[in-house]
Amino acid sequence: MEKRDMSSLSAGVRRRTLLAAGAAVGVAGLPRIAEAQRGGGGRIVFANGSAYDTMDPHATFDVGRVAYRLNCYDGLMRWVDNPPKLEPWLAESYTTSEDGKTYTFKLREGVTFHDGAPLTAEDVVYSMERILAVKKGAFPLFAPLVAPGSTKALDRHTVQFNLTTPSAIFAATTHDIYVVNSALLKRNERNGDWGEAFISRNDAGSGSYIIRRFDPARGFLAQRFDNHFLGPAGIAEIDFRYVAEVNSRVLGLIRGDFQGTDPYMPQDQIVRLQGDANLNVLEAESTRLFYACIHNQRAPMNDVNFRKALCHAFDYDGWINNILGGSVVRNTGVVPNPMWGAPKDLAGYTYDIDKAKWYLARVQAPMREIVVAGMIGYEQSIQAASLLQNGLTRAGIQSRLLNEPWPVVSNKMRDPEQMYDLLFLWRSTYYADPHNWAGELLATERHRGGNASYYSNPEVDRLLAEALATPEQAKRAPLYEQVARISSEDAAAIFIHNTKWYGPFRKNVSGVRFCPIGDGQEMRWLSIA
Amino acid sequence: MRQVFRKLAEDRSSMLGLALILIVVFAAILAPWLSTHPGDVTEFHTAIRLSPPNADNWLGTDRMGADIYSRLLYGARITITIAVVAILVAVLIGVPVGLVAGYYEGLGSDLLMRGSDVFLAVPQIVLAIAIAQTLGPSIENVILALSVTYWPFWARLVYAETRSCKNETFVEAAIALGCSPWRVMVLHILPSISSSIIVRTTIGMGGTILTAATLGFLGLGPPPPTPEWGRTIAESREFLPMAWWYAAFPGLAIFIVVMGFNLLGDGLRDVLDPRLRRASSGK
Repeated sequence: MEKRDMSSLSAGVRRRTLLAAGAAVGVAGLPRIAEAQRGGGGRIVFANGSAYDTMDPHATFDVGRVAYRLNCYDGLMRWVDNPPKLEPWLAESYTTSEDGKTYTFKLREGVTFHDGAPLTAEDVVYSMERILAVKKGAFPLFAPLVAPGSTKALDRHTVQFNLTTPSAIFAATTHDIYVVNSALLKRNERNGDWGEAFISRNDAGSGSYIIRRFDPARGFLAQRFDNHFLGPAGIAEIDFRYVAEVNSRVLGLIRGDFQGTDPYMPQDQIVRLQGDANLNVLEAESTRLFYACIHNQRAPMNDVNFRKALCHAFDYDGWINNILGGSVVRNTGVVPNPMWGAPKDLAGYTYDIDKAKWYLARVQAPMREIVVAGMIGYEQSIQAASLLQNGLTRAGIQSRLLNEPWPVVSNKMRDPEQMYDLLFLWRSTYYADPHNWAGELLATERHRGGNASYYSNPEVDRLLAEALATPEQAKRAPLYEQVARISSEDAAAIFIHNTKWYGPFRKNVSGVRFCPIGDGQEMRWLSIA
Repeated sequence: MRQVFRKLAEDRSSMLGLALILIVVFAAILAPWLSTHPGDVTEFHTAIRLSPPNADNWLGTDRMGADIYSRLLYGARITITIAVVAILVAVLIGVPVGLVAGYYEGLGSDLLMRGSDVFLAVPQIVLAIAIAQTLGPSIENVILALSVTYWPFWARLVYAETRSCKNETFVEAAIALGCSPWRVMVLHILPSISSSIIVRTTIGMGGTILTAATLGFLGLGPPPPTPEWGRTIAESREFLPMAWWYAAFPGLAIFIVVMGFNLLGDGLRDVLDPRLRRASSGK
């Protein structure tokens, strides 16, 4: 058995200056936070552009609704900071078997849920089974690896995952095994629903904050959980409000009605916020790929020549330099540039209508009007769709734009019949590994769950499987680079840019710790003056 | 008829309304010649996006760098088409329904009117949104949504007018002379109630344009890159208040055309329907 304790995982973690003088944390490898400074008062109102339709941590798996998962629930491990580091959270340490198929996690002792019940290995087992049973949220991540009933509680604080195949990314994804209060859910189960009706509106976690009020039309309000195993969080109350209009979010922030907001807005508004004396717009290099899914299985997109024509019809320079004001960098492949496994020499496609026409002339299937989709509320995806349409018209491809809200879009992505011909969206970081992009977006087994391009290439599948079965990063990197090259040659999707993160906050907010996983929305580190 | 025109010509506000409508109609017809960048309906120039009004782009540019002035002119075509066709269809359905239901009495008449009551029971905009949302965004569906929700207004009006007209001596005389019911309705009753229909139609045009713009604003109108005014305003929200011209000019265009139809409608009502004459006109 290979023992991996947390100090090796967080190797290279520099003691944060903020925490250098902080109280020493007793347990080795605990995220080093200045607990002595925690437990202050205040309240933060955060304006969120996406609606919260549920409070079930196993029902969603996106950045728009990440706040309740991150702040009200705990996972076995947690990604923090940038570049992201996998830190122990509910687990103290874990071991991996020689064959890479058995993961044994040792849980921290003395952790309690919000209702005072102790958090045990049984709760972890229940949570894993629940993810597999409700088949939502992070289900596609675990379904190929964990069979229902295979997870065991060895004792009160030891839990064992028995994977069907070795996986180099399993530990990285345990961030998303949010542990729920199994006793509470079992008490509130109705007709074998795994407590879905209850937990979608109520609190059942152990996280830094306790959900006190939830209204899908307004958002949620949560109060600090003083008995959190890391000690109480910095701010007493967090109020995440659903504010659909960009202008309302911006004006509210300027007026001081909100203390923070998400950065899903045109770059022009970010520039406006940067000019305000009362605001801090934090910036960080992120790993968030902006791309367009191309439905690879539907004619005429099933012809590589047509897909290449599409890739040549997007005005990358106009997009990056004019519309986004040079705030992002071109990302030619499937893996974001800063991530290992991204080939540095991948030329990608350029905006070239003549080339687009050249490829178009080689398409066998009859031409038809294609549907290019964007997401309502996400201005950039709508603008990118318009820009592509402009290029398509010049190349002689008829197209129709369709904008729909994210809940509709995410449902259609899971069904190859309903999926749009093209769809502009982001792939955020859910675990800091190239597989988060290359594997989730391109593997055949991820059809109906991540691979919304319905791309399928046996060679890519073989390389991805090999990469998953290989533990060493140095050996995995060239495999992902190869996948990036092949998928670019196949024009599997239109890869556009890697996003930079902007975090607009009022100046009285401090302590924001941005991590690409969770997009800086973990509130426990914050203080408010 | 000549008297009607003379009276209308004396009313300054009606003439202003008529002038505004004519300006928009001519802008729509002559769009290819009047626009400075006719290609900008489908072509973008990202390098000059969100430029304020200048010598080259008289009303500035939008988020993709297209000329707002040119897009407004082409947008006028869509607005006028939607309003005219929708109202025409609503009139063609509503007037016959109202005539028949008003002329005859009995179960059939009641059924027709209760049918129109069903449509009137739901706020018109809500019903239009529901229909447009179900059918998907396109010009045809907007027209359908507006026609389906507007016809009961004409049915109600014509029904009431027909009912009161039916007992007039000239109608009784026509019936006594042996005219067929269709002849009585179309040649005797309809001309005498036509003034009410004209007034309602003119005022209705303004409302229809506003509703069409609302549907466009909500993303239920014709899809991009169609330069529909309502959607242009919706797009501009994200760039306010920096790009004020982006929302201001399409808003102004909607204001002008709705104002035009309302002023003309009010003027026509004064001339054609003395019972409803404006109190302030003092005539």
